[in-house]
Amino acid sequence: MLLSSVIIVLREVLEAALLFSLLMVLSRRLGISCRWVVAALFIGLLSAAIYGFNIDLISEWFDGVGQEVVNALLQGTIYLLLSALAAIAVRYRRGFAVPESLIMMLMFASVTLAIVREGSEIMIYMSGFMQVTDLLLPVMAGSAIGAGIGVSVGAVFYFALLNLGRRTAAITGAVLLILVAAGMASQAAQQLIQADWLPSQYPAWDSSWLLEEQSVTGQLFYALVGYEATPTPLQVFIHIMAIALLVGIVVIVNRQRGGVGARDA
Amino acid sequence: MMNRRAGFFMLILTALTPVHAATPVFEIEIRDHLFLPAEFTVPAGKKIKLIVYNRDPTPEEFESYELNREKVIMGSSKAVIFIGPLKPGAYPFFGEFNPKTAQGKVIAE
Repeated sequence: MLLSSVIIVLREVLEAALLFSLLMVLSRRLGISCRWVVAALFIGLLSAAIYGFNIDLISEWFDGVGQEVVNALLQGTIYLLLSALAAIAVRYRRGFAVPESLIMMLMFASVTLAIVREGSEIMIYMSGFMQVTDLLLPVMAGSAIGAGIGVSVGAVFYFALLNLGRRTAAITGAVLLILVAAGMASQAAQQLIQADWLPSQYPAWDSSWLLEEQSVTGQLFYALVGYEATPTPLQVFIHIMAIALLVGIVVIVNRQRGGVGARDA
Repeated sequence: MMNRRAGFFMLILTALTPVHAATPVFEIEIRDHLFLPAEFTVPAGKKIKLIVYNRDPTPEEFESYELNREKVIMGSSKAVIFIGPLKPGAYPFFGEFNPKTAQGKVIAE
């Protein structure tokens, strides 16, 4: 019981923790206050609890696929928020006048939604053991360990990114932000396929011989870039489009003239 | 240039073409953290509507890497999960919240 709790909680925490770390690094690099972090944690966990405890009702929406639709909406919105953030962060970095509060707001909103998506599953999982007194302790301990490992991986990721050189950090940060955001769009597409709102197809390929999704590396790649071993052609198409759109936005914004010169980042 | 554009449209068309067929419905249960039946056969090449009834009071998460599916099912409720189309073969699934006991397999043929 202890081990499965570790794995379940770790998987969920990891996804939110990586996005959290990435945006905290971006915040630090741009010289923007990290005040949004506490608010995102608090409101995110509160909303996750509300979502988790109403999942019964939500699941029944849209002929039984409410859960998929809400999850797709959460992840689709995170994609849009991160796209806006990428464009605005590039402008800010190039010295255009951008209100810091807008950047903080986008970071706050995307991390909050990620915590809602991942945190709700943890709460649902733990709620199942509230009445089972002899299992409660191992489940709590396992969950704490899982959360601890997830947060630690996030912290390692945070310091690794923070210690990169200026130019490398800007490029790595932009690439990661684009990949994480596109992974969200791809997962949203997957949820809509599962709900039968988007057409189902045979998988485009099976790359599990190369990287198994359930392996540690596979899980890490899933959390970071939305890796799936057997995506359908439509999901791959949406994933690629999501990347292309974001790269386009960043390139166009980066070419605009008129800023007061690169801000130190 | 023309070719590339045509190829692009083909890609969109392929991506948007649904697999047409009346959707067969399959129902399974979760009882005492076990899937019942733990193994069932579905037609290959068709989209399947899978309804999972959770008869336990505790929540479960239907999960399968091979089917690319993941869904929370609260205690004493049911979940609708669309799977496939599947090529012939065996597709394991499990209950993520009770992975030691809740194990099952979809056979497509």
